[in-house]
Amino acid sequence: MKKWQRRAALAFFVIAAGAAAKAVDIGFGSFDAPGPGFFPFWLAVLLAVVAVVYYASNREADAAAQPPMAAGRFRRPAIAAVIILLYTQALDFLGFATATFFLFGAWLRGVEQERWPKVGLVAVIGTVAVYVVFAVLLHLSLPRGLLI
Amino acid sequence: MTEIQSLMQGFALAVTPENLMFGFLGAVLGTAVGVLPGLGPAATISLLLPLSYALGSPLTSIIMMAGIYYGAMYGGSTTSILLNMPGEAASVVTCIDGYQMAKKGRAGAALGMAAVGSFFAGTVGIIGLSFIAPPLARFALNFGPAEYFSLTVLGLMLAAYLSGRSIIKGVLMVVFGLLLATVGLDPISGKERYTFGTMILMDGLDFLTLAMGVFGIGEIFLNLEEKIKNELVTTKITNLWPTLADWARSKWAVLRGSLVGFFVGLLPGGGAVIASLVAYAVEKKASSEPENFGQGVIEGVAGPESANNAAASASFIPMLTLGIPGNPAIAMIYAALLIQGVQPGPFLIQDHPDVFWGVIASMYIGNVILLVLNLPMVGLWVQMLRIPYAILAPTVVLICSVGVYSIKNNVTDVAMMLIFGVMGYILRKLDFELGPLLLAFVLGGILEKSLSQALLISNGDFSVFLTRPISATLLGVVALMIMLPPIVSLMRRRLGKKSAAG
Repeated sequence: MKKWQRRAALAFFVIAAGAAAKAVDIGFGSFDAPGPGFFPFWLAVLLAVVAVVYYASNREADAAAQPPMAAGRFRRPAIAAVIILLYTQALDFLGFATATFFLFGAWLRGVEQERWPKVGLVAVIGTVAVYVVFAVLLHLSLPRGLLI
Repeated sequence: MTEIQSLMQGFALAVTPENLMFGFLGAVLGTAVGVLPGLGPAATISLLLPLSYALGSPLTSIIMMAGIYYGAMYGGSTTSILLNMPGEAASVVTCIDGYQMAKKGRAGAALGMAAVGSFFAGTVGIIGLSFIAPPLARFALNFGPAEYFSLTVLGLMLAAYLSGRSIIKGVLMVVFGLLLATVGLDPISGKERYTFGTMILMDGLDFLTLAMGVFGIGEIFLNLEEKIKNELVTTKITNLWPTLADWARSKWAVLRGSLVGFFVGLLPGGGAVIASLVAYAVEKKASSEPENFGQGVIEGVAGPESANNAAASASFIPMLTLGIPGNPAIAMIYAALLIQGVQPGPFLIQDHPDVFWGVIASMYIGNVILLVLNLPMVGLWVQMLRIPYAILAPTVVLICSVGVYSIKNNVTDVAMMLIFGVMGYILRKLDFELGPLLLAFVLGGILEKSLSQALLISNGDFSVFLTRPISATLLGVVALMIMLPPIVSLMRRRLGKKSAAG
């Protein structure tokens, strides 16, 4: 776990260093007339300092190797993330209702590994229910694509 | 006009059919999300924030959002008692004795005491809110930029301090959240900051997109790591009204829980989760049989459940009077008011008395609604636990997506939400609390504005923060909070060495 904490501290330090450099570019101003980069600069400095302290507090090695992100645990969240990514890409192209049908289907099949009849049934009922609530009852403006 | 008269006017607004309906809807939704594990009040309010645009009235919006927040406190106990799984974080400790009571066939008494205790404590909290908030707001009218800066720093420090086991992690999240809030056009000069030349970042990162990403989507990713299987205590729930002996044992626990919850809820960064933990510890200390805690003691349910409801009501005080939201769910309500063009803070009572008193009055009504919803209808809520997570999860993704899309009708925002979801998931995996990040993101604007104004007024002299008494006191507390943990740990180490040597 501590190995991952140290990596996180390094990531925050890199972000802080980049943010500080960019803040100087934006314009630091002065103490009596702060510029647009003044506040971000001091935040970045503070972030870097806290990241160093955090790194130092996780210096020692783990008693036992306990990676918080064991590969097996990642599988379902990763599949879900890919499905949501594809959904965002399909929304404008296919339209809300069709993309939603595929989201339900892909989720139940890909993430939950449900049987096809259940996948089809839930996808149809879910899509109709969501469409009725958002488009018909709440009159929200939803993406329209090739289909609905 | 006295507070009582103002409150009566608030009641007149709260009982309009529209406000009553949305108050009821909020209470029902809140109870539902409290019952369902894996969907907390902050995430639910964030899902419904886009509805604020559609509702039009700030009072109606905040009445519904408030109903969700305190409704979740009521509902959370149901899953804790029947499933040994907290429906939301503030009911974690209720699992300890509540589930043991259920296993002994006393689920009804535990649920009944949780509901009645919640009602009593919620009412205590609202009475406190009605009478403490107005003088506090009047006092806050004396605040200048230096005081606001120091108060915001204190609120953020408390959020970092109370959020989890590691203060450093909390501070990291606060500073990271503040940095994220600087993305977009500088409000004074109009210069781009961290936009990387992209149009999408010009308006800055959207609070709603961030909140739905880290809380909604991130939470789903985390829950997907393991298959959620609900195992209900299947015995029939009977005798919802606790016995006379239960009342006798619980009366002081409810009272103590109400007071503890109210005062913890007042703290920026405090809130229902910490209140319930403190109340459990207080009950154990106060009991003549502390060894029985964990084996199904009714005080172990009454105290924490009362505390989390009192805290939920009290946490509205810093938000409504000082403009400082104390926890993520309250930050969502704060954002809902901003969306409606209402700035929470000391001027709220003056400028929008209808919103201020209307929401307080609605909370009195909502508390009664929740008692009715939770006692006779507990069987119905239990049935909700049968909704499989396989269907709930994609539905939440859809609600988040539609909510984010409806802000600007832009699919790119949905992709941004996914990015924040992944970020939230990774941070949670590394044991970072996301509450301080979100609070800092909300308060970033206030902090920057008050810092710049204070420096401009004082010609760049930082002593302005230390020469003004209120600001100096607030910063003194911050300094104490920073210095105290290392001093305490040093003293402990020395004492340990001494005792080892002796």
